[in-house]
Amino acid sequence: MRARELTVFVVDDDASVRDSLALMLSLSGYKSALFADAEAFLAAWQREWAGCVLADLRLPGKSGIELQAELRAKGSRLPFIIITAHGDVATARAAFQAEAVDFLEKPFDHAQVRAAIENAFSRENLRLRRSAEAARLESLTAREREVLEHAAQGLHAKEIAARLGISPRTVEVHKTRIMEKLGVRNVAELVRFALAAGPGSGR
Amino acid sequence: MRYLRDILIFAPCYIALDWASYIDPVGPFNITPWNPQPALAIVWMALGGLHYLPAVLATIVAADVLVRGAPGGYLITALTAVALAGGYAWIAWLLRALLADLRLRSSRDLTVFAVVVAGGTAIVGAAFVGVLRGANLLAAIPVPEALLRFWVGDAVGCLVTAPLLFAVADPERRAALLALARRPETVAQAAVLVATTWVIFEGLGGDPSRHFYFLFVPLIWAAARGGMSGAILATAVVQVGVVIAIHREGAAALPVLELQALVAAFTLTGLFLGMVVEERSRAAESLRQSLRLAAAGEMAGAIAHEVMQPLTALGSYGRSALLYLERGEAAPLPGIVGKMLAEQERAAEVVRRLRDFFRAGTTRLEPLTVEALMAAARRIGEQVIGERRIALALRSEPGLPDLYVDRLQVELVLRNLIANAAEALDPRAADSRIEVAAARNDATSVRLVVADNGPGVPQTARARLFEPFVSGKSTGMGLGLAVSRAIAEAHGGALEAPPAGHGEFHLVLPCVHAS
Repeated sequence: MRARELTVFVVDDDASVRDSLALMLSLSGYKSALFADAEAFLAAWQREWAGCVLADLRLPGKSGIELQAELRAKGSRLPFIIITAHGDVATARAAFQAEAVDFLEKPFDHAQVRAAIENAFSRENLRLRRSAEAARLESLTAREREVLEHAAQGLHAKEIAARLGISPRTVEVHKTRIMEKLGVRNVAELVRFALAAGPGSGR
Repeated sequence: MRYLRDILIFAPCYIALDWASYIDPVGPFNITPWNPQPALAIVWMALGGLHYLPAVLATIVAADVLVRGAPGGYLITALTAVALAGGYAWIAWLLRALLADLRLRSSRDLTVFAVVVAGGTAIVGAAFVGVLRGANLLAAIPVPEALLRFWVGDAVGCLVTAPLLFAVADPERRAALLALARRPETVAQAAVLVATTWVIFEGLGGDPSRHFYFLFVPLIWAAARGGMSGAILATAVVQVGVVIAIHREGAAALPVLELQALVAAFTLTGLFLGMVVEERSRAAESLRQSLRLAAAGEMAGAIAHEVMQPLTALGSYGRSALLYLERGEAAPLPGIVGKMLAEQERAAEVVRRLRDFFRAGTTRLEPLTVEALMAAARRIGEQVIGERRIALALRSEPGLPDLYVDRLQVELVLRNLIANAAEALDPRAADSRIEVAAARNDATSVRLVVADNGPGVPQTARARLFEPFVSGKSTGMGLGLAVSRAIAEAHGGALEAPPAGHGEFHLVLPCVHAS
C-alpha cells in the first residue's frame, strides 16, 4: 500500500488530541509526525516531505490556514486538511479558498479522517508521479523534446524528419532514446505520456 | 358596534375641546389661536382609518351648531365642515402613507409629521377662509390675517396635541408616560414649568412673549431626561398654562398670536430634542444588548472549542482500542482506557465551568481576597501558556483589602488579558514573560496590571482598541477587550491600556470598602 510511504503531519496544540490521533493513525497503518504549533512545523519542514498535513485551525501563534499559506510560499505542495472545533461558514470558506483538501469538524470519526487522508494521499501520489514525469521530461535534449512534441501530434517518422530537416533514421534514433529516458515501452505510451506531461502540466 | 362606540367617545371630546378652545375668535367663526380638536380628528382617522370621515364631518357640524350656533347659517356650517373634515382626512391619509411608524419613533418621522401638519393645516385654512370669504362673511378682517390666525391655531393645536394623542394610543408609550409622570423629577419639572409660566404672565408683568424664552430651560431639562415622553408632557403643561392665562387675562390684553407662534417653536424644539435623546438611548441600549449577546456567543464558541478537544481525543482513543481488539492485542488497552477516563473528566470540567458562567450571567458581587485572585491568575496563566516557553510572574503589594467582585466574570477578564498577552509574544523569543501585579489604586479600589514584554499595542490601533468587532488578530471577533471593559465597568471599575513600550493593561476593581 502506497499510504505507508507517505506521512501524516499532525499540527494541533492539544496534547491529548495529538497523542490519541497518533495512536489511531499508527494502528490504521499510517506514519505520522506530531507538532504542537505552526512554528515548530515550519522549523522542522523539509522540501522532500510527502504526505499530508492535518492542522488545527486555531493554534497558538499562526493559524492552520496561515501555516498553509506560509508553506505554499516556501514552495511546498503538501495537501492540507484543516480541522476545527467550531466549523462555521466563514472558517470553512477561508479553508477552501486556501485550497485545503478537506475541512474536518471536531470531534471527527475515524472514517472521516481516513477518507480525508486517503483523498489527500491520492492527490499527493498524483502530484509525486507528475513531478517525477516532469523530472524525466527535463532530462530530454531540446531536439528530443521537439521530436516528442511532433510524435505526440501523431506524426510518422518521415513527416517529422521532413519538418525538422533531418533524416528519418535520426528521428527513429531520437525516439528510441526518448522512450528509454521516459521509461515507456511503445509509441502509444509515449504519446500518452506526452499528452499527460506535455505543455501546460510542467509544474 | 365598535364604530358607534368610537363615535360616542370621539364626538363629545371633540365638541368639548372646541368649546374650551373657542377663545379670541375672528368674528363669530372658529378661527382661534388655539385649536386642538383637529388633532383629535386627524389622530383618530390616522389610527382608525378614513372610514371615520362621515362621523368626523357630522361632529364638526354638530360642534359648530352647539358651540357657536352656526354663525354663517347652516349652509356655510355644512360647507366649512366639508372643507375641514376633508382636509383633516387628507392630512390623516398623508400621515398614514408617509410615516414609517405612527408612534413617531424617529427624527425622520417627526420631521414628516411636522411638515405634513404645517402644510396641511395651511391648505385647510385656505379652504375654510375661502368658503367664508366667498360667502362675503369676512369683510371686517383682511384675508391674509384670517388665514394666518387659522393656520397658527390649527398648526399649534395639532403639533402640541397630536403627539400626546399618538403617545396615549400606543400602549408602550402610554406606559412610559405614566412611569415618567410618577417620577419625582418629573413632578419637579412640571412645578418649574408652571412656576415659570406664572412668572412670565403674572410675576413680571408687561408683554409675556418677551420672557417666553425662560420656558426653554425647563423644557430642555424635561426632554433631555425624559426623551419624547418628557417633551410631550412639558409642552402639554405649557400649552395648558398659556390657555389658562389667556382665559384669565382675556385675549384682548395679550399678544395671543405671537404667544401661540412661540408655543409652536417651543413644541418643535422640545419634540426634536426629546427624539434625539430617545434615539441615542435606543442606540446605546441596542449596542449593550448586542455586546451581551456577543459575550455569550464568544463564551459559547470558546466552550465549544474546549469541549471538542477531549471529545476528539476520546473518539480517537476509542477507535484505537477497537483496532487493538480486532488484532487481538489486549495489553495496551488498560493504558488507553485510563486516558479515556482522563479525557472524560476534562470534558466534564469544561461543562461545569460553562454552567458556572451562565449561573453568574448577572453580576453577583462577593468578597474575594487578592490572594485568591492571584491564584486564579496563576491557574489561568498556566492554562493559557500551556507548553509555550513564557515565564509567568505574579506580584502583589502586601496588605491589600479584599475585592468586591463577581469572581467568574473577573476571571473571564483575566483570561482575556493573559491570552492577549501570550498571543502578542513572539513564540521564538527566549525571554518572553507575562507579569500580573496587584497594587492599591485608591482608598476604594485595587489596580491589577497585566503586562508582557511583547511589542505592545501600536499607536494606530490604540484609539479603537476597546471597540467591538475591531480585532488585531486574524481569528476571533474582536470582542474580547470590549466585553472585558464592559465587565470592568459593570463593577464600577475600569479597563485601560496606558501607552507603554510593551503590552500593558490596567484593570481597576472595587474593594469591599467601596460598597
